[in-house]
Formats: sequence, C-alpha cells, structure tokens
Amino acid sequence: MNSFWNGKRRYVALLLFLAGVFVALEVPPVIPFIQLPGENLPAGYNIPFTDIRITNTLVAAVIVWLLLLLFLVYIARRRPSDGSEVPPGGFYNMFEALYEGLMGFIGGIAGGPHFRLIFNMFMTIFLIVLLSNWMSLVPGIDTVGFIHPHVKEKYDVEKDEYKVITTDGFEIYQGFLGISYVNGQCNWISPADEAAADATALAAAEAARAAAEQDLLVEAAYDRYKAAHDGHGDDAGGESSGDAHAEDDHAPAVAESDAAAAAYDEVLAARVAEKQARADRGCYTGVAVSPWQDGYIAADDKAKKAPIPLHPDPSSDEAKRVPWVVLPWVRVASTDLNMTLTLAIIAVVMVQYVGVKALGIGYFTKFFNFATLFKSPLGGIDVAVGLLELIGDFAKILSFSFRLLGAMFAGAILLFVMSFLVPILPWPFFILEFFVGAIQALVFALLTAIFMQLATISHHHDDDHDHAEAH
Amino acid sequence: MDPQATIVLGKAIGAGLAMIGAAGGGIGIGLSVGGAVQAMGRNPDHTPTIQTNMILGVAFAEAVAIYALVVSLIILFVLN
Repeated sequence: MNSFWNGKRRYVALLLFLAGVFVALEVPPVIPFIQLPGENLPAGYNIPFTDIRITNTLVAAVIVWLLLLLFLVYIARRRPSDGSEVPPGGFYNMFEALYEGLMGFIGGIAGGPHFRLIFNMFMTIFLIVLLSNWMSLVPGIDTVGFIHPHVKEKYDVEKDEYKVITTDGFEIYQGFLGISYVNGQCNWISPADEAAADATALAAAEAARAAAEQDLLVEAAYDRYKAAHDGHGDDAGGESSGDAHAEDDHAPAVAESDAAAAAYDEVLAARVAEKQARADRGCYTGVAVSPWQDGYIAADDKAKKAPIPLHPDPSSDEAKRVPWVVLPWVRVASTDLNMTLTLAIIAVVMVQYVGVKALGIGYFTKFFNFATLFKSPLGGIDVAVGLLELIGDFAKILSFSFRLLGAMFAGAILLFVMSFLVPILPWPFFILEFFVGAIQALVFALLTAIFMQLATISHHHDDDHDHAEAH
Repeated sequence: MDPQATIVLGKAIGAGLAMIGAAGGGIGIGLSVGGAVQAMGRNPDHTPTIQTNMILGVAFAEAVAIYALVVSLIILFVLN
C-alpha cells in the first residue's frame, strides 16, 4: 500500500486542484448570506415532547459529544487494565503523547494539591472546544442543508403555533451560508415598499399629466390672447383671424389630452419597465398585473398574510415570491453564543468551586473583604478591590464566551468569503483555521486552569505573611 | 434620504469604526512577538518555552481585537 502511494500523492493533490477548478467554473460560487444567531431547523424538528426547536448548532454540539464518547470508549478499551505497556503506534499513541505533554504543561502551571481537578477540567474543555472548532474544516458542515425560502418564522401567540411569513425590509432570516436558489439576482423588496414605489410612480405620473395640462392651458391662453390681440390690432384681417381663432380653440383641446396622456404614460412606463426587468430575472414583483389598479394593494396585503410553506415546490409560482437560501443541517457549535456562554459559565463556576474547596467559606472574603475596613486606614480600598474582583469574575464569563465566539465566527466567515473570492484555492485559510481552532481551544482551557489555580491561593495568607514581616 | 440606505450607511460606518479596536491587538501582537524573537535570539535553547508562551500571549492580545470584531459583526448581522 505504502509503496504504491510513494511519489504519487502529488498527483492526487493536482487532481483535487483540477477538480476545484472544474467545480468553480461549473458551479459559480455565490455571495454568502451571514447570520450570527444559530438557525432553527424547520418546524417539526423539535426536542421530543416539547415545543423547543432544535438549532443546527445544537446538532453539531451533539455530534461533538458523541464523538468524544466514542473516543473515550476507544481509549479506555485500548488501555490495558493490568498496567502493562501499550505497544506504540496509531491514534492511541498520539493521544497519549498529547495527554502527557499537556499534563506536564498544566503541572508546571497548576501543580498543587488540586492538580487532578484542574487538569480534568482543562482536558474536558480543551477536547470539547477543539473538536467543535475543527468541525468547521469538515466539508459539508455549514454548507449543506435545507434549501429554504428566505422568509421569517414567527410565533403566533394567539394560535400558539409557528407561522412562516414573508420578510419585509430588513427582517431577513434563515440561512447561515446563503446559496440563493431561485431568485439569486433579486433584491428583496417588500410588498409594502412595492406599493409605496407604485404610489410614488402614480403620483409622479399624475403630476406630469397635470403639468402637461397646465402647460397646454397656458399655451392655449397665450395663443388666444395673442390671436385676440392681433385681431384687435389688425382690422383688415379680422375675418380670417376669427377663423384662425376658432381653429386654435379646437386644436389645443385634442393636443391637450394627447400630450397629457403621453406624459402620464411615459412616467408610468419607467416603473413598468423596472418591474418587468425584475420579473424577467424571476423575481417577485407583486400580485396584480397593473400595480396602479385599485385592487392591487388589497390583493398584495392578502398575499402578504398568506403563509408560505417551508418547502414550497421550487417550480411553483408561490416559490417565486421569495428568495431562497441554504439552512445548513450542521453549523459549528462554537459559532453560537449559547455554546460558548455555557462553557464560560461552567468554567467560572468551577473556578469558584475549586476556590471554596481549597479555602473553605473564607474564599468569599476575596469578594467581600470587610475584615480590614475599620482596622486599617486603607480598609475602604480593600472593600472596593473585593467588589472589583466580583465584577471581574462576571467579566470573565463575557470575555471567555466572546473570545471563542468571535474567533470561530470570524473564521467561519473568512472561509465562506475566501471560498467565494478564490474558489479554486481556499485551502491556505483552512490551514489557518486549523491553527486558530487549536489555539483558541488551548487558550480557553488554559485560562480556566490558570483562574482555577489562582482561586486556590489565599490572598489572606500573603497579607498575614507581609504583616508578620513588617512586625 | 432613503431610510434603508441610511441604516446601511450607519451600520457600515459603525462597523468600520468598531474595527479601530483591532489596532490595539495588532500593537500587542507586534510587541509580544518582537520580544519573543529577541529572547529566542539571545538564548536559542529556550525556544520551545518562549514560543509556547508567545503564542499564548499573542492569542490573548488577539482576543482584544476579536472583541472589536464581535462588536462590528453584531452591528452588521444582528442589528436591524
């Protein structure tokens, strides 16, 4: 096997590169549609026996847990129970090297009486975050999923059910990475905005007609005045001027209606052409054919309220009313604030736990330090410092969660955008993401370990020591 | 001015301003890597330790830039 692949791997890489070129040419990449909160899977994908919808980041988190479980079972089975040496090689060996390396690393930082607890916490968080982060490198994650109309789901309180309504304006929803499926070229314009644009066009047309009529009236009046003036001034041509006057009086009436109607049509034609251009691209342009008919707005209101099914037939007229995006089945768990915030809260609670375990109830004097308030002239400062420590522990939750979320979400966006800009060669950024994922996992876990270690150290002891020295 | 265009304008300007915070992260990373490279030049035997600590320091400095990034991402993709 090995001899067969010797020297041939480079051709595999070349083949993959050519396949990338072919795919990029054949299936042009699209601008990604980006959304920060985790998306709900469509109606019906509830947590069993509840109304709580499953998000696609939860799917990724469950996959991570299952992978870790499998991994632990494998490690436990592979490890000999009698304590004898495991023959080196394979995945187990790699993990053992990693484990021992990290154990030495944490031992240097937190090698006290609480080393086991701190190291277990470190390793748990490290493995969970590492697996979550590296999931963004797996093809298909974040990119393959339900083709979904670009619509919004809304919870109807009265009927106690989820409803799907068309989006309007900026209320855009669904799809982390968007591949517009039907109406890729459409800028979504809400029915209300369409109606407003129609009303504007209508008003402009009316104004144009009024202006044209006004012009014609002024012109006719001027002609009449001029004719009368001329008739008055020149007695010899009186009869002929009277004829001309009669003709002039008649002619503008026809010209008036024609020119005014032409002005009206011209202004409306621009709007019609605009709508037609959008319709030619397959975009939704409203329900009624002639937007300036009275029935239009009423009909549109009805259409706005009519629910769109979550999976309309893409060939149907109904499907043309909305743009479409992809709702991925699995989205990297650490790009969802729920996951990172949960881990951060667990980490900070564990910091308090190990502090109480090490120092007893006296641990909390770190936060509420009234002991020196009346003894020392600077006692008030100690109280303020303690309160700052308390605030700092809450700030830890925020910094933990937003650091991981920011790094991984930005990484996901980087991968999308690079896949869009350089569809042939996005893989350097995958290597970057590989390192970023590992480093962020290490940072999260290491900070937890360091904070836990710091919590086990008594500040009081140091103070007493200083006092003793001073005395 | 079109209200939607105003919103887009405000979001874009706000996100751009928020990313000024990334400058601090850049300065921090530059300082820490510069110090680490000097240290590695002086005693190359300690390169692995220095490198590990440097990467950790860089990650912490980067975190500040990431906060700015999160703010600008929230402005762009969450605010309506």
